[in-house]
Amino acid sequence: MLEQVNEVFREVFDESDLTIARETTAADIEGWDSLMHVRLMIAIEKAFRVRFSSSEVASLNNVGELIDVLERKVAK
Amino acid sequence: MEQRVLFSEVKRLAQAGNADDALRMLRDSVRRGQLDAAGIEKAGRLCQTLLPVSTEKIGSRILMLGQCTTTWLTATTTAIAWGDGTALSVSEGAYDSVLQELLQLDVTSGRPNVVVLLPWQQRLLFNGSMLSARERVDAECAFWHQAWTLITERLTARILQVGYDSMSPGAQGYMLGARTGGDLAMIRAVNQELRDSLPSGAVFVDLEHVSGEIGRERFYDPRRYFWTKQPFSEDGTVRLARHISAGIRAQITGPKKVLVLDLDNTLWGGVVGETGPLGIRLGDGPDGEAFSAFQKHLKRLSERGIVLAACSKNNDADAREPFEKNPNMVLSLDDFAQFEASWDPKAIAIRRIAKALELGLDSFVFFDDNPAEQEHVRQALPEVMVVDVPDDPAEYIRTLDAGLWFEAVDLTDEDRARAKHYRAARRRRDTEVQFESIDSYLESLEMVADLRSIDEPDMDRVVQLIGKTNQFNLTTRRHGPDQVRRMLTDPTSIGLTLRVADRFGDYGLVSVLIAVADPDATTSLVIDTWLMSCRVISRTVEEFLFNALVEAARSRGIESLVGVYAPTAKNALVKDLFERLGFTRLKDAHGDSVTYRLNIAAAVPVKSFVQNKDAVLQGSVA
Repeated sequence: MLEQVNEVFREVFDESDLTIARETTAADIEGWDSLMHVRLMIAIEKAFRVRFSSSEVASLNNVGELIDVLERKVAK
Repeated sequence: MEQRVLFSEVKRLAQAGNADDALRMLRDSVRRGQLDAAGIEKAGRLCQTLLPVSTEKIGSRILMLGQCTTTWLTATTTAIAWGDGTALSVSEGAYDSVLQELLQLDVTSGRPNVVVLLPWQQRLLFNGSMLSARERVDAECAFWHQAWTLITERLTARILQVGYDSMSPGAQGYMLGARTGGDLAMIRAVNQELRDSLPSGAVFVDLEHVSGEIGRERFYDPRRYFWTKQPFSEDGTVRLARHISAGIRAQITGPKKVLVLDLDNTLWGGVVGETGPLGIRLGDGPDGEAFSAFQKHLKRLSERGIVLAACSKNNDADAREPFEKNPNMVLSLDDFAQFEASWDPKAIAIRRIAKALELGLDSFVFFDDNPAEQEHVRQALPEVMVVDVPDDPAEYIRTLDAGLWFEAVDLTDEDRARAKHYRAARRRRDTEVQFESIDSYLESLEMVADLRSIDEPDMDRVVQLIGKTNQFNLTTRRHGPDQVRRMLTDPTSIGLTLRVADRFGDYGLVSVLIAVADPDATTSLVIDTWLMSCRVISRTVEEFLFNALVEAARSRGIESLVGVYAPTAKNALVKDLFERLGFTRLKDAHGDSVTYRLNIAAAVPVKSFVQNKDAVLQGSVA
């Protein structure tokens, strides 16, 4: 899952060697501002065929939490 | 090209300092519809950084000011305009600071040419307001009027005002909401008022119409409004950007002026050279009705000032016949300012049209059902906008409309007079031949041929082609199946079929050649029949078949080939074929027919861009 999410990050941030970990936060990646965050969420929605709620989008603090939400959604 | 591969290639070029090629890749991928909405937005952000460091000249500076977030729209509009070949510099103001931005803008350094104003309904529909509905409509209009004054007087820029739309009918619902005082009624009232009071030369983009194109459910994404104060979905953003880009074009360069139209399978169903002017599908039946409706639409475009030009690979006389003889035709020859029917590559024909009309190619739109012709014009004439024509003629009008090519600010008397003027000034067709290299185009088609001996399973198609092919047909001998079989019983006879495919599709069995023993010389073959469907004319398919014939003849110990050209009213196209292939014309003519001879020992292969299927397969294994 982390691998696949990493792929979406690379595409959205246009950085082919970007590597993320569960602990990665917005502060760690250059350009991860609120607008980029929405681009990222929408790209992940498309890649995994899921839909985030507004509260989920607001509550995520790092990549690990994103993956946890995603795993719950994909399992459904 | 896959989107991801495209972007990594663009990035590689950009990092190598080659902004021009990177931009060209982005332009072509947007133009060809190869990117999804997120890809278009990303392409737009790349354009925003690449255009200033490229050799492209920025056509216009656009400032977007919104009561909602405009970041996505800014990038997407940049990409859409660049896809149409227009380099825009699009910047945005801070969120919901329209008047502040207009007042603070430093007018000494780079004024915008156009200011895009994008309202959002939060204030108009604000429930806590003590104002009446009428007062709120007036206050909203007064706000925009003030913005317009600042734009025209302080910035001397042009105005592109977007209208209001509803995301939901509001608390009163659809029925009550549409009455005076309801949300829907207020939105309609503001739009009407803005439209009526718009200064001349300004553009109003009606958001109700734009969202209606794909429906509000798809056009809006409420989540995104709450996440970033940007209410449009990805697809909605692209739709709105297209309308804004068309509005900017209407103001800066004006609408496209010329619509170049193919004839066969574009204005009518079928191929007039094969079926005759009364055999085409037009007026009756589902597709016939669709072609008629398309012609009516074109007639109305012509009446409002769009110049129509015909561009068809056809004999001139054949192409004109439906207009003269088919009672179901809506368009007449007089509706076309230029009528180009020839066998020249279309890029050459379009150049001739532009020259005759004295109009730039950048004001041309090209509509042709054949994807290979679309690709040819895209490559040879990048200034011309090429419509991606759908298979079904029922979709033609909608597809042409969706390009928004002819959106205009004000319909002037001059516009209306223009079409008339060009038609009146129509000149004799420019006979000057223009040469240009189309080798790279033919190469890019990746044509593959499947050559076979005529066999029973193909007999129906072979006889059908023998019966109906008029243009590329050297002898026009209409043999039936029994005659074909009889000719092929002689072991020295050569009977060939040729199937052709290219990267756009499979054309199927397109060419037939039958050569039989020469009664006058045992080591000679006479080409009794040689024909080809006009779908593959001017693509060196005949050259490929000729080379194959020479090989087959040589391997059988044949020393010479005899070719006969029997002229008809339709087959002038192949008048010079044998000479072109190296045959020598013989003196002894029989009636109108001309006879040619080729000495096999002296024959040299002619250049063809068609590859043999087996060679291609072997190549891919190796």
